[in-house]
Amino acid sequence: MSKSLHKRLRFFTVVVVLVTLVLTGRLFWLQIYKYDYYVAKAENNRLRELPIMAARGEIMDRNGVLLATNRPGFAVSLLDWDKSKGDEIIGLLSRLLEIPETEIRKQIERQQFKTFAPIRIATDVSAEVVARITERRPELPGVIIEAQPVREYPLETVAAHVLGYMGAISSQEYQEWGRDKGYRITDNIGKYGLEAAWEEYLRGQDGVEVVETNFYGQRVRELGKINPVAGHNLVTTLDTRLQRIAEEALAGVISELREGGNEEAGKGAVVAMDPGTGQILAMVSLPAYNPNSFYDDYSLLISDSNHPLINKAISGMYPVGSTFKMAVATAGLEEGIISRNTILYCSGRKVYFAGEAPRGCHLGIVHGAVNVTRALQVSCNSYFFELGKRTGIDLIEQYARNYTLGKKTGLQDLAGEAEGTLLCRREGEPWYPGNVLTASIGQGHAITPLQLANYAAIIANQGTHYRPYLVQKVVSPTGKVVLETEPEVLNRLDYAEATWQAVREGMEMVAMPGGTGSVLRNLPVKVAAKTGSAEAGTKEPHSLFVGYAPADNPEIALAVIVEHGGLGYQGAVPVAHRILAEYYGDESREE
Amino acid sequence: MFNRKLLRNFDWLLLFTVFAIVAISLITLASTTKSITQNPFYYTKQQAIRFAVGFAFMLAVLSIDYTYFYRLAPYIYAFSVLLLVIVLFFGDDTHGAQRWIDLKFIEIQPSEFAKLGIIISLARQLTAQEGSFDSIFSCIPAFLHVALPMILIFKQPDLGTSMVFLVIVFGMLFMAGANIKHLLTYITLGLAVGGPLLWFNLKPYQKMRLIIFTNPYLDPLNYGLQIIQSLIAVGSGGLYGKGLFAPGTQNALGFLIEKRTDFIFSAFAEETGFIGAVVLLLLFMILILRIIRLASLAKDTFGMLVCIGVAVMMTFHVLVNVGMAIGIMPVTGLPLPLMSYGGSSLLMNMMAIGVVLNIGMRRQKLMF
Repeated sequence: MSKSLHKRLRFFTVVVVLVTLVLTGRLFWLQIYKYDYYVAKAENNRLRELPIMAARGEIMDRNGVLLATNRPGFAVSLLDWDKSKGDEIIGLLSRLLEIPETEIRKQIERQQFKTFAPIRIATDVSAEVVARITERRPELPGVIIEAQPVREYPLETVAAHVLGYMGAISSQEYQEWGRDKGYRITDNIGKYGLEAAWEEYLRGQDGVEVVETNFYGQRVRELGKINPVAGHNLVTTLDTRLQRIAEEALAGVISELREGGNEEAGKGAVVAMDPGTGQILAMVSLPAYNPNSFYDDYSLLISDSNHPLINKAISGMYPVGSTFKMAVATAGLEEGIISRNTILYCSGRKVYFAGEAPRGCHLGIVHGAVNVTRALQVSCNSYFFELGKRTGIDLIEQYARNYTLGKKTGLQDLAGEAEGTLLCRREGEPWYPGNVLTASIGQGHAITPLQLANYAAIIANQGTHYRPYLVQKVVSPTGKVVLETEPEVLNRLDYAEATWQAVREGMEMVAMPGGTGSVLRNLPVKVAAKTGSAEAGTKEPHSLFVGYAPADNPEIALAVIVEHGGLGYQGAVPVAHRILAEYYGDESREE
Repeated sequence: MFNRKLLRNFDWLLLFTVFAIVAISLITLASTTKSITQNPFYYTKQQAIRFAVGFAFMLAVLSIDYTYFYRLAPYIYAFSVLLLVIVLFFGDDTHGAQRWIDLKFIEIQPSEFAKLGIIISLARQLTAQEGSFDSIFSCIPAFLHVALPMILIFKQPDLGTSMVFLVIVFGMLFMAGANIKHLLTYITLGLAVGGPLLWFNLKPYQKMRLIIFTNPYLDPLNYGLQIIQSLIAVGSGGLYGKGLFAPGTQNALGFLIEKRTDFIFSAFAEETGFIGAVVLLLLFMILILRIIRLASLAKDTFGMLVCIGVAVMMTFHVLVNVGMAIGIMPVTGLPLPLMSYGGSSLLMNMMAIGVVLNIGMRRQKLMF
């Protein structure tokens, strides 16, 4: 091997020795010279990550009225606490927080695997309790107060079922998906309503503060901080003014019915939609709950036989009585079975049909010669028995489903929309020809108030089935629009103009003298409506209203049900009357 | 056929240092993972199995005369590049960068094997070019040779490993007889032109790692935290260390991040102190010096260049990995040879040792 090669090899040897020397020198510096410094650092090395809770997105109505927001609150947690003094600390905390010791121990047990993160003991603690704890700090080593935004619903029970409520993430939810999505076991999540369905958007991103703490758990300095990012805000389609009017109208009528001796009244629902877009303007379900005090009232709510936790507007299913008749009329007209001028005679005689008990018009009234518009106006059962017989159940079913009766409307912004059922021919089930009579006057079906409102909307806009929706915009905390919902056409019913005209005229006549909803004639707007009284076994019938206003240029499609509210004009019509009177009567209304 | 006479030239000391370093690795792994409750020695067992496999690979590499590798060099090069292309397009990116190929039973990291592959193929190319390094342009074929694998690895992205190739090519060019002035010119040029070019092609996290190297407290939550915690662990180890398997060490408390892989040196230095750390460094020094010795004894230029390539590679890994643990090198994620937990790196290093021992063993033409 040449001499120069040997020289070059020696160069490598020198480099390797030098590298070893440099590394050794640095190790000497760190491990010998700076030993005391690093030992102290290691002793004090109690870096702690303190979560900074993000504010949840706000929920507001179409005009920016806040429906759900946050207020500052405090949580009490343990961090680096002295377990040898555990009994004393837990005892004192129990007295100050007024929580039983066993409850505190349960919380510690549940979160025991958290070594570097605080163990949450109590949430939403009052300022007074915070002051008491601060006073006795020396006796409570390791007890920390964390800032924690608390969910608040400023309008209390207003739109409670739409907004939903919050609750602690359950162990099961945490195991199944919470952990993967970065939730902590102490986090609250949306459990129902928009809070649950829009959790992903509403939830903010918690920040974290890394602090170095000393042996006593006191903060020595902050090493770094990631600020929390608030969740996205939801702009809903709700109109708080209309929502309140509807809630008060329904509650008012129910209490009047009860005062009048109808002990069975107590529940009901209202849905108001914009027939031109599918936007839900108001959605009421009574009785309601207060999402602010949900868990305090929980035992009462859960035992209430009126099921206040269920959103009856989307999950309640009812026979809808005569409000169903527009579907039958549409089928008859559109299929050419009748025309607008076809006269059928209501003789007052009871109708017999195979498999069906004899039936006639309500109270045995004789309507005489009626056409379709008149039949709708006076809700002539005899007419619809005959029309139903001629049309047949299969066509009735088809037209009803086109109106989203017994069919999901497509609402995606809330979970829990019921599909409902229609009384119709089903495979494997007995069918009696007489059942068509029952079906024609709206009995035997199970239909939701949302479906009824959507049905009214489709008639109001002459055939367009818009997807009903509640959230029109998702806006980031910086004001950026993250998501915007455009009206979505799910189906278009291409019926003859004459069909629409007849059905709509019949509905308008309901609100005229001689109609079943004639009290609606004195409203500031012209209303198209249909009333219904649905048999409910041996109890008072359900009282229903379906309609839209103004009749010539519909802005609101409305469905009202007062459970066991009596006949249509006793319960639902007064509710609708009050809603429309107040909504259109109030001069402060903005156009 | 394997000839007993070959054993006369076998470098037993080199093999001993390999065993010693691997033994230290297994003990450190056992010590740092003792707190895992279900299966405390899982990582130790895994690494021991990989070492056994690596040892078998080493014996296999030993049994073939290394001059075959000279003939196979172009295929080795092609295969290395092919694997790098595959990993770039079909690789598993679950670990953040696309470095692994998932073979279901095992995940391999082609960039590790490429290091050895490129050393062998570059050695052949430089051997062929021997004695003709008069022009400054004569270095260019070697640069082109490593450019392709380097870019592929840089794209993964893996800055550290692509840097290894740069060091290897300069080291091997130097030993192949390239003009020192030429090499210095290229280095100067590379820093002036390549530096800025590289900077603008780095991912944000890579830039962050380089920035916080100058001041770890700029980013105390992520990479800076790794460095800070590593310094505390090493420094608090002192002269004698806190003891292997000792409770309450920084690594046991969970302050030390990546303590099995990138920062295994910190865990070892914390537990065995300055004495242990220096012993480990000396073992590495002996290992590399023995490889350089075999380079000087090799019977041909090809063997000498392969040995140098391996020596340069190992030196660079030790410098960068240990340097990172003690805060004088940026965080790059280069493993510590034979120490860090990980199969591909261990296998490749065992095979590299096999090649080097092979060259040393067959340094004389045997007389019968």
